[in-house]
Amino acid sequence: MSNTGTKRSLSLSTVFTHQTILLLVLVALVLVFGIIEPVFFKLGVLFDVFSIIGEIGIMAMAMTYVISTAGVDLGVGYILQMSAIVFGVTWEASGNLALAIAAALLMGLAGGLFNGLIISRTRIPPLVTTLATMYLYRGISMIIAGTKTFAGFPDAFHKISTTEIFGFLPIQAVYLIVLFLVMDYFYERGSLGRNLKGMGFNENAVIFSGVNTRRIKLGIYTLLGFLCGVAALIYLGRLSAAKTSMGDYMNFEVITAVLLGGTSIMGGVGSMRGTLIGVLIIGVLKKGFTLLNFSGNIYNFTLGIILILSLIIFALEEERKKAVESEVAAT
Amino acid sequence: MKRRRSITREATLALILLIILVFLSLTTSFFSQSGLYSFMLDVSPTIVAAIALGMVIFTGNIDISAGTISGFVAYTAGALVKAGVPMIVFVPAAITVGTLLAGLNGFITVKFKVPSIVVTLAMNMVHIGFYATFLPQSGWIENLGPRFTWFGRGRIFDLIPYTFVVAIVVAVIAMLVMRYSRFGKELYAVGGNRQSAIYSGINPDATVMKVFLVEGFLIGISALLRAMTRNEVMPSVFVGRELFFISAALVGGISIFGGSGKIIGAVMGAALVYLLSIAMIYYGFQDYYQFALQGIIILIAVFITVADFSKIRKRFGRRTRLEVAENE
Amino acid sequence: MDNKNVLEIEGVDKHFPGVQALDDVSIDLRHGEIHAVCGENGAGKSTLMKIICGVYQPDRGTMMLNGEPLVVSNPNDAYSRGIAIIYQESSLFPDLTVLENIFMGHEIRKSVLPFLKVLKIIDYPAMRKQAGAVFERLGMDIDLDAVVSTLGVATKQMVEIAKALTFESQILILDEPTAALTSNEVDTLFETIRKLRDEGRSMLYISHRLDEVFLIADRVTVYRDGQYISTADVKDVTKDRLVSWMVGRTLTNLYPKENVDIGEVVFEVRDISQEDLLKNVSFSLRKGEILGISGLAGAGRTELAQAICGLTKPDKGEIFLNGKRTRISDYRRTLEQGIAYITEDRQTYGLILPMTLKVNITHSVLRQITNSLGIVDRGKETEITDRFVKQLDVRAPNGEFIVNNLSGGNQQKVSVAKSLAVEPQILILDEPTRGVDVGAKSEIHRIISDLAKAGKSIILISSDLPEILGMCDRVLVMKNGRIAGELSRQELSQERILGMAL
Repeated sequence: MSNTGTKRSLSLSTVFTHQTILLLVLVALVLVFGIIEPVFFKLGVLFDVFSIIGEIGIMAMAMTYVISTAGVDLGVGYILQMSAIVFGVTWEASGNLALAIAAALLMGLAGGLFNGLIISRTRIPPLVTTLATMYLYRGISMIIAGTKTFAGFPDAFHKISTTEIFGFLPIQAVYLIVLFLVMDYFYERGSLGRNLKGMGFNENAVIFSGVNTRRIKLGIYTLLGFLCGVAALIYLGRLSAAKTSMGDYMNFEVITAVLLGGTSIMGGVGSMRGTLIGVLIIGVLKKGFTLLNFSGNIYNFTLGIILILSLIIFALEEERKKAVESEVAAT
Repeated sequence: MKRRRSITREATLALILLIILVFLSLTTSFFSQSGLYSFMLDVSPTIVAAIALGMVIFTGNIDISAGTISGFVAYTAGALVKAGVPMIVFVPAAITVGTLLAGLNGFITVKFKVPSIVVTLAMNMVHIGFYATFLPQSGWIENLGPRFTWFGRGRIFDLIPYTFVVAIVVAVIAMLVMRYSRFGKELYAVGGNRQSAIYSGINPDATVMKVFLVEGFLIGISALLRAMTRNEVMPSVFVGRELFFISAALVGGISIFGGSGKIIGAVMGAALVYLLSIAMIYYGFQDYYQFALQGIIILIAVFITVADFSKIRKRFGRRTRLEVAENE
Repeated sequence: MDNKNVLEIEGVDKHFPGVQALDDVSIDLRHGEIHAVCGENGAGKSTLMKIICGVYQPDRGTMMLNGEPLVVSNPNDAYSRGIAIIYQESSLFPDLTVLENIFMGHEIRKSVLPFLKVLKIIDYPAMRKQAGAVFERLGMDIDLDAVVSTLGVATKQMVEIAKALTFESQILILDEPTAALTSNEVDTLFETIRKLRDEGRSMLYISHRLDEVFLIADRVTVYRDGQYISTADVKDVTKDRLVSWMVGRTLTNLYPKENVDIGEVVFEVRDISQEDLLKNVSFSLRKGEILGISGLAGAGRTELAQAICGLTKPDKGEIFLNGKRTRISDYRRTLEQGIAYITEDRQTYGLILPMTLKVNITHSVLRQITNSLGIVDRGKETEITDRFVKQLDVRAPNGEFIVNNLSGGNQQKVSVAKSLAVEPQILILDEPTRGVDVGAKSEIHRIISDLAKAGKSIILISSDLPEILGMCDRVLVMKNGRIAGELSRQELSQERILGMAL
């Protein structure tokens, strides 16, 4: 896309304020929903939020890595869909759960790997690449599945998504928190995080530091694909049927969660914590709407509005903070 | 050194198109009266929309909500027709809806400096949600009658659809605008080197805003060209159509990075993309194979564009040949 | 040249958030004069020019054009008032033709139908005629339909000039026009400039290259830190005087090269070839030596550097490090071998501007400061940062300071620090002081000298002949991808180098 002159500032204050505001928003949402529908405040119901954002959460974490490098994967929902379909097909054909799981994970990995190869080896920008593979994967999943829906998975399988710790905490919360802790650690304290953010700001400079950016790119897209496969399993565990419309809105939810969380679409600035909160906000919204009997369409509509509004607000914030140093430097 | 690169690109396209047409004429009934008629009828909306999206892409932007905007346009037309409104009113009204919606995308992109990819991605969702939430029956209106369809289904010389004539007229006007108007040059400038455009006295924000309005206008026409061939409108039919428009533009040699490409390329790209999808149907592939195919087409088209760039640089530039990423 | 002022500027202020870019500056330009404008980076030269051209608006101050008040609200205004500017960074559109580039933003138009005044279309014949005339005047033969990306650097420069000339501009502003030109091309440019002056135009010529100022300019004005310092006739002032105005102090030793004992050969290159860019290049480098590589742009100097650093792949050739044959497959390996490459374009290649000093300086040595899992040891990070900040005298409040907020010269030092962090034995510096102000320039030269004294070996690629002459023990002159000649320090002279380069 064309070169804009905007500079992204990496002042710690930017990201901090984002997250604080987000937390407030999260709390506010919970309160609002709870007031309208008091059952929302029940612990069991509230924590249910985790169970519905397991998949999105996992994908969003990995997506944060990708977006930090000024890249993106528009088709994560369809990688998930492909994995799910492959799981269904393999299960139906072999009756072997382990095989089906392996196949699903492999499919996710393959999807991410293909993206990663194109993005790291050719000059095709991630945007266009994943726009194209998004449709490609959607097509592939439809081709494999035909019009069938796959169901009838064993109970043991469903346990991966339906178990509740201490009787009320969905296991997805554990998955998410563990994944968050690990990924956040490497992101904030590790060389990986530096490299990712550096690549988002100025990839050439990172290459000149002797860092193998190609390998990093390949890695993060593949990781994303793999985690989409994982997310597919968790999704299937919860919903018990695989069909070819699963991925349609997930792409959008995942990207919204990440951008809402304060990670900049232009790369360089990012926060795993923000993503986590973003994911939770989406979960609360979803759960709240379900309780209030709003349709899925209203949810999508609202999410779209929220994304636009948050982007506008963040953009205005950047405008304010942005010093006109770039022009001064040219004197 | 002439413009060898771009001439070759469009000429190659024309050649490919010719080959496919020859192939089709030999193996199918494509060149029959009904075959040609349906080809022209179906390709017209895509031609106009590819031109629309092409112009946006010239400036380095994109509009992923072009499909859902079309849905709104179709709905507006259908609803007005149902209410007895004459064509002279519902056509401009519907087109205006398209213009305004695209204008909104442009406004957010320009005013808040949010990349158009994100804006239009979000608006895409907003539109889809809007259909299902606020439009009765998700916008489905049937039995529109001949007042709606006469234009879409009409033809001259019993062969050439009115819609095709419109598409050709639009293409010609677009080509003239790109060549002879300052606006056309501005599009290339803003997409090619935004800072230089500013130094040349161009206001990139104004240009981008204008191009989105133009795009909306053209998408409005495109949507009507498609909708008015049928007796009913169903906005969901348009969801995802932008895929074809964008691949048409990219196949046509319009660089996704902005700053280069030709309208005639978009036109040929539209024809090519359409023919490929026809070929698929003919050979028995269901329409979900289309998705996969379009995906691959986009990859190949962009790869060729990208390969062109590095070849040029190798041959003529004295700059280094580092394998570093382009900073966009 | 009469003494009437064609442009008079007084009392101009310009403020940006956080910075007073211009503080009560003035300048006057006489008719038919070539007036040089000098100053360090940040002095305000470009800002002032941009105000004259309508890109910025002054907060305060007056401008007069031929005695009449001048207000320029946008770039098109400037054009219509006869003020044209050629920017430092290329302002061309690579995918458009020469003709389209020249007229971008102010295409010649005519009415479609004589009575239909409203509808105007671009008048290509008229544009061709005018552009053709301009190029003829410049003595150039250019295909107006050539796509700009296919043109060479010097030709592009000419297109930029032609662009500025298509309007009967009386005032022409050139911002570092020779930055990317060879000395041959500079001569042609100067000829053109003189021609234009003889036609009655007046020119403002911004340049860091003081030698050029003495060659081409009639008067020179110096700014420092956004303020006007002084104006003088070029014949009445010396280079040292200019430098002291620019810097605010006298710089005695611009090229502090010391005598260093030169040791044995540490690095040797044999028969490096790469398509038609490099042809059988061989040379050796000794310990403590500063080896200069000179030559025209396009002679292959940067290509050579990048080929031996693993950034590009040569077709054949061998590299020997301390006598042992080494394979260099990519830049990472190069760093590991103790060879560092510092480029001129620090912004694109060297630094991650929005990040901190610490992150930037330690980025090449992440392995040293991270554990097996890749987690950064903050203590080690600080230690390394502090060490180099001290060694290079980088002026920044602390390690958490964002590099973007540093001055150009300090940024370059950070870039050098980053490469020094890997403790290389061999440094390849590619135009290290290009675009750097005089003050920081001499500091960087001191650093280079110190490094050589410490036993490191340095390859210095530079188009700045005085720099080459001042700093190097030996100089290789490249021409058309080959080494055309070699000169020892005693044999060095500008004429000899140019003689081999041309």
